Amino acid sequence: MSEIALRGGPTAARRLPALAPVLATQVRYQLTMLIRTPRALIAGLIMPGLLLALEAGKKEHVTMAAAAPRIAGLLAFSAVAVAFFIHANALVIAREEGVLRRWRVSPLPPWAYFAGRIIATVLLTAASGLVLVFVAVAMTGVHLTGHAVAGLLAADVLGALALTATGIALTPLIPSAQAAQPVLMLVYFPLVVLSGSFGAITDLPHWLTTAMTYLPAQPLIDAISGVMQHASGPLMSAHDMVVLVGWAVGCLLISVWFFAWDPHRPAHARRAGASTTARSA
Amino acid sequence: MNAIIVKDLVKRYGRFTAVQDVSFEVASGQVTALLGPNGAGKTTTIEILEGFLAPTAGRVQVLGANPRTGGSLGRAWRAKIGLVLQNTSLDAQLTVTETLMMFGALYPDARRVTEVLDLIELAPDARTKIGALSGGQRRRVDLGLAIIGRPEMLFLDEPTTGLDPEARRRLWSVIENLAAGGSTVLLTTHYMDEAQHLASRIIVLADGRVVADAAPDELRAMGGVPVIQFRLPPGSPALPPALSQHVGGGVLTMPSADVTADLAMLVGWARENYVDLTGLEVGPPSLEDAYLALTREGALSHV
Repeated sequence: MSEIALRGGPTAARRLPALAPVLATQVRYQLTMLIRTPRALIAGLIMPGLLLALEAGKKEHVTMAAAAPRIAGLLAFSAVAVAFFIHANALVIAREEGVLRRWRVSPLPPWAYFAGRIIATVLLTAASGLVLVFVAVAMTGVHLTGHAVAGLLAADVLGALALTATGIALTPLIPSAQAAQPVLMLVYFPLVVLSGSFGAITDLPHWLTTAMTYLPAQPLIDAISGVMQHASGPLMSAHDMVVLVGWAVGCLLISVWFFAWDPHRPAHARRAGASTTARSA
Repeated sequence: MNAIIVKDLVKRYGRFTAVQDVSFEVASGQVTALLGPNGAGKTTTIEILEGFLAPTAGRVQVLGANPRTGGSLGRAWRAKIGLVLQNTSLDAQLTVTETLMMFGALYPDARRVTEVLDLIELAPDARTKIGALSGGQRRRVDLGLAIIGRPEMLFLDEPTTGLDPEARRRLWSVIENLAAGGSTVLLTTHYMDEAQHLASRIIVLADGRVVADAAPDELRAMGGVPVIQFRLPPGSPALPPALSQHVGGGVLTMPSADVTADLAMLVGWARENYVDLTGLEVGPPSLEDAYLALTREGALSHV
């Protein structure tokens, strides 16, 4: 470490940077981190892309009516993987490694930290969705109008927002980085399979079919599928929009109260030691 | 003006009391070391000062504000604080430069990234991802994040743990320069030489209480009777039994309640056996001896 003078460090009056550029910096680096997470690209783009390619190889999917639910399902599969599973998993790891507690005492307001994470996740989800749509168009030959693309984007963004918020709200229930993947899988797989991401399941009990329409994945699939098949009209049904907005707002409100910034410590460790993270006080 | 005011601080976890009636003040620009064995309450104290934990009772003020809220200043208060946490906590996917830029964007008048890279001597690794750095290098990035905002108050929780001796010395010089620039520094450490070198004042905690609060030299004097120290030349004849019981590793280290009498015994032995006493030292106990004596007494007095 060099002897460069550090004098004049603390200064009396200093203007804090405006929040907009601070938020933009957060989004930029959170996006960089997500893109550098191989699992995000594999689960969000490569896996659904491969499945899409397999689906496109089947002749019966050339009509829009047949192709739309399959494409919508795979877009939702990608969104759930990136916005819910990958993001929540990374958040638990960041918490357990103490990254969150460092941010908590930085001059960055907590809302700006989360806004940065959420916007970055939504952007990556939407970008993955767009790439998958282009792949689908190229491989199936279906025609998409500007209205359909706008609707797809709106649904993807709203769906990603709901799924990201759901993942954030779930993290306080996950006690360790090791537990993150199994716990999230427990939610992730039923969500994507029962919602029809890989094709509609027809023999489900009625109550389960109804319940799925109130979870975030099914309305996302319905919204994407609907907008692909209808050249005009609303971008999304009122039911789908209310469910997705409800999950986004509800889960963010829950997180305001219950989100845990500090690494989880078992009760015996709290009694034996002193601080929240300190292995030695 | 005091940068830190701690008054009757208590922190309990259920029935376990981590910190009990701790009070001290730290003047602006002072480098203070908080010492204590594991479980003494120093990290709990520093985490309360950093704003991570709420005290159970007592009053805490850092740069004129309650650390839990930052007072009415909020962001502005946080921007005056620099932290090196006990455990390194950085996003592994970003490079060193990206990490410094991301944090630098939060502060008014932040140091340039190149300047910080030079200070922490990581310029050659500027484009290396954090995940690929060694533990010592990550520690240096931690320090870089702590100083990038030109902090008025710097909390360093065991900042040199995991660093090699050379890197420790260099980090000391960074801390000294920061203090010379007007920053107040509160550090915890397990290295006595570090505390003695950096701090103008040492607060010793034991069993959650302050057992000593003094300058390093005063602390040494508080550690008990003077010590006679002499490295025995190879092949030295046997010392009198009263002295030989204090020999370890070829060095006589003898706490002495009566220096004149003990020295006379040693000099008499040396004269009889033609032993050269060059290197003989008489002085207060080392900081480590004093620290061990204080923490032992402190822990025992509260059992």
